[in-house]
Amino acid sequence: MKKMYSNKLVITSLVLPGVLLFVFAILAPICLSVYYSLTDYSGMGSWNMIGLDNYKALMRDEAFFTALRNSLFLAIGFICIQHPLAIIVAAVLDKLSGRGESFFRCVYFIPNVISVAVIAYLWKFIYNPNFGLLNNILKVFGYKGTVNWLSAENAIWSVLVVLIWHGFGWGMLIYYSGIKNIDPTLYEAAAIDGANQKQTFLRITLPLMKPVIQVNVTMAVISALKQMETVYLLTNGGPGNATQFTATYLYQQAFKAFRYGYGNAISVVFIIICLLATVFLNKIFEEREPERRGR
Amino acid sequence: MKVKWWSAALAAAMVTGLFGGTAAVQAEEQVTLKVFSNLPDRKNGQGLVEQMIIDEYMAENPNVTIEVEALDEEAYKTKFKAYAMEGMPDVVNIWGQPSFLDEVLEAGVLAELNEADYADYKFIEGSLEGFKKDGKLYGLPRNTDVAVFYYNQKMFEDNGWSVPSTYDEMLELGKTITEAGITPVAMDGGDGWPMAVYLSDVLYKIAGADYQGTVADAVANSDFTADTMKQATQLLRDAADAGLFQIGYDSQDYGTAMNLFTNGQAAMFYMGSWEASMALNEDIPEEIRTNIRVFTMPVVEGGAASATDIAAWNGGGYAISANSEVKEEAIKFLNYMYQPDKLSKYGWENGVGMSAQDQTEYMTGEETELMKQIVNIVTEATSVSGTPINDCGPSAFKTCIESEIQSVSNGTIDIDTFLADIGAACK
Amino acid sequence: MEKTGKKKMSAGKVILWGILIFVAVVQIFPLVWLLDFSLASSNEMFTNGLLIIPEKIQWGNYVKAFVDGNFLHYLKNSLLINGLAVVLVLLVSIMAAFACLRMQWKLNGFVKTLLLMGMMIPIHATLLPNYKIYSTLHMTDTIWALLIPYVAFSLPQGLFLMTSFMSAVPAELEEAAVMDGCGIYRIIFQIITPILKPSIATVSIMTFLNNWNEFMMASTYLSSPKWKTLPFSVLEFTGQYSSNYAVQFAVMALTAAPAVIIYVILNKHITKGVAMGAVKG
Repeated sequence: MKKMYSNKLVITSLVLPGVLLFVFAILAPICLSVYYSLTDYSGMGSWNMIGLDNYKALMRDEAFFTALRNSLFLAIGFICIQHPLAIIVAAVLDKLSGRGESFFRCVYFIPNVISVAVIAYLWKFIYNPNFGLLNNILKVFGYKGTVNWLSAENAIWSVLVVLIWHGFGWGMLIYYSGIKNIDPTLYEAAAIDGANQKQTFLRITLPLMKPVIQVNVTMAVISALKQMETVYLLTNGGPGNATQFTATYLYQQAFKAFRYGYGNAISVVFIIICLLATVFLNKIFEEREPERRGR
Repeated sequence: MKVKWWSAALAAAMVTGLFGGTAAVQAEEQVTLKVFSNLPDRKNGQGLVEQMIIDEYMAENPNVTIEVEALDEEAYKTKFKAYAMEGMPDVVNIWGQPSFLDEVLEAGVLAELNEADYADYKFIEGSLEGFKKDGKLYGLPRNTDVAVFYYNQKMFEDNGWSVPSTYDEMLELGKTITEAGITPVAMDGGDGWPMAVYLSDVLYKIAGADYQGTVADAVANSDFTADTMKQATQLLRDAADAGLFQIGYDSQDYGTAMNLFTNGQAAMFYMGSWEASMALNEDIPEEIRTNIRVFTMPVVEGGAASATDIAAWNGGGYAISANSEVKEEAIKFLNYMYQPDKLSKYGWENGVGMSAQDQTEYMTGEETELMKQIVNIVTEATSVSGTPINDCGPSAFKTCIESEIQSVSNGTIDIDTFLADIGAACK
Repeated sequence: MEKTGKKKMSAGKVILWGILIFVAVVQIFPLVWLLDFSLASSNEMFTNGLLIIPEKIQWGNYVKAFVDGNFLHYLKNSLLINGLAVVLVLLVSIMAAFACLRMQWKLNGFVKTLLLMGMMIPIHATLLPNYKIYSTLHMTDTIWALLIPYVAFSLPQGLFLMTSFMSAVPAELEEAAVMDGCGIYRIIFQIITPILKPSIATVSIMTFLNNWNEFMMASTYLSSPKWKTLPFSVLEFTGQYSSNYAVQFAVMALTAAPAVIIYVILNKHITKGVAMGAVKG
């Protein structure tokens, strides 16, 4: 039996497809990116090696830092707005104990299955100052002016709203299953101790949800960093660079400004930032874990 | 004489027989031409014209299949770049402007054309210049583009507004129109380039004949701090501050801006003359499309240019891929398109504005009022500006100015920062 | 005492229901708005009301959207590519998970970590170099240009879920199979795979949802309509019908429809699958 389980040929045949995919679709492109990031390649014709010039230029590029700030803004927005809302709604849904539960779950999740292309175009219309849904709602409530939802100041908030709306069902569902997994006897015990609903939520539900929250926070930060599709179609980074993100910026630089080498430098830094962010978040949560157990 | 006639006829018959035979052999050889177009709307305007010619060509040459891939301008340029890496489709749209053509020609992806072939094609003098490098021709221009304000004549008359004759009058008019609850000018500010054209238009009105020199020097020296540049940028900013453009102009795309105008929500629409086909577009309500008229950028007080010095250029056109496997057929198709009675004539009949070829013989007198007006503007022009500013530098510059111009117009950055930033992008 | 408690409960219930219904309206109203305007004519859109009652219901909008948007063609491509991606992700991840978990070799931990690393790599960072690779290999505009990155970037998640589910499968089952003379491949596909059914559902749903939305790679790597996916019916259409809003709304509604319908029908399974993946992940 042991011999069978250590048959090199069989192992290779099992792992090879996955490894090949990894090498071909992920590792090789990254290596190529590193190479091109050291050139002044425009995307066409010949190129020269220029050392770290692209990286130096990147460190002075305001638009790139705007992109990073925007990612941070999104991450904070997800953590401070989307997730609290999702937890509260999940807790409320749990209280319904059955009635209408699956209906609401279904409705909340629907935006999530709609393609980003449709979502982005739909919201472009919703935000339209002249005939969009939002300004018409304001008019119904008696507001006289016209709000420019995608102005330089508002655009990033508007992007955040679309993303929260689109991803709400997913977040809610994850928290909901987390809550469902909490041992009901704990609630019974709390009820016996005379705790009210608020206390139960704060003292039992939230602490027990910690692992779920941690995973979700990590996912929120990563997805804020990776944001591209919605922004690309909704604002394409504008007005100016107000809603620029790393991914939209590297696309713009490589394919529009004919700076393929520079775009690759952005890609490389982008990957490093994502790796660092993941490692950093895992570190924070790992340190907390034993602390909690210690208590 | 009679004998001669007969023998000539006989010879002709023999020749046709001979060639007819070879043609029949060739006909069995299937050729597929790939056309990459920046005209996604195949049912209206320029896209319709292009499609008409393609269909005719296929009908006349049954062995040729033409496949069209059409994307709108932004996506087109991105994809074009990508194609440059892996090999182009056979016939492509190009722009005879440094921002686009310099890098493309440097990469050697376009085939050289024989200029002498086009002596009879009636190209307007100077229109081929933008498509040349070192005296060699790499593409043919399609249009003569003029930057204009389209306006709704009926709306103007009903409200007692009149076409402004100075820039200040226009800003005043804008305020009056806003008070009437209507958007003065629909502006495609989301794309950046129409505002850059607007900036060029204003700059031309200020600098006059110095326009090309000023811009060329600025690009060459990475220095845009000339007083005329500052003044022009200030005038653009003034227009935005005065509420001349619709709310949210800096985030709205081409279609949204145009729809504001064609649905009677805006009194004017700033765009190129290629949209003259609006007058024939049946998706647009009749009372609006029959009332569309144009005027050009009004003069700026103290500016060097007069009302008849207009912002116009030869921009878009076609070229052939250098490594096309069916280059001969592609060039044959290109030449077919440019026969004066094709692109130029059909374009004229469909009201898509001015081609880069002499169109006077196709005038029937039954053109839309809009077309006639545009023709008048061009024929009465005392001078034309040439390439708009955003297309005069490398594409990094173009990308930068088209993004930063949104920020400077909406007040996110000040004028000096704007000029410094676009200067830096030229390096 | 008990009575007041009940009353309080019911007042609380009202608030709870209020919250839930409010959120439901926020989530669903934009889609109702979309449907409403897709049946109107373009010039009716400039209204001050929230919803409109079209003068005449314009079914023609949908006909145009269906025909000129190449709806069926793009839908077929989307289903085919996403379906294949799901199958491949399942196959590769089950095999790799088994090898890393059960087989005895030195590098099993390393290979697993390596493959899971993919989860941290931002997919869009590979757009530029991948384009170069595919064009050099003449793979642009083929189905592979989409399948390979789709599978590669869904694999880490699939592998992660598969290993965590598989580690819960008792080893005794395999031992019995080995006694019966089964080979490794038969153990994987005839013994283990059927037990993994719920996790297979989870991985399938996650992979499908991830790739269903994707269009950035599709728009970069594809040029002809041959393999283009459903989002393109919207992207291309808005260019073609830029002056006709109502038809644009119709094509958006039509594009959104298949996923929403499938979701509503399979609602229970999908939420269960996502929830399972979420708890594990």
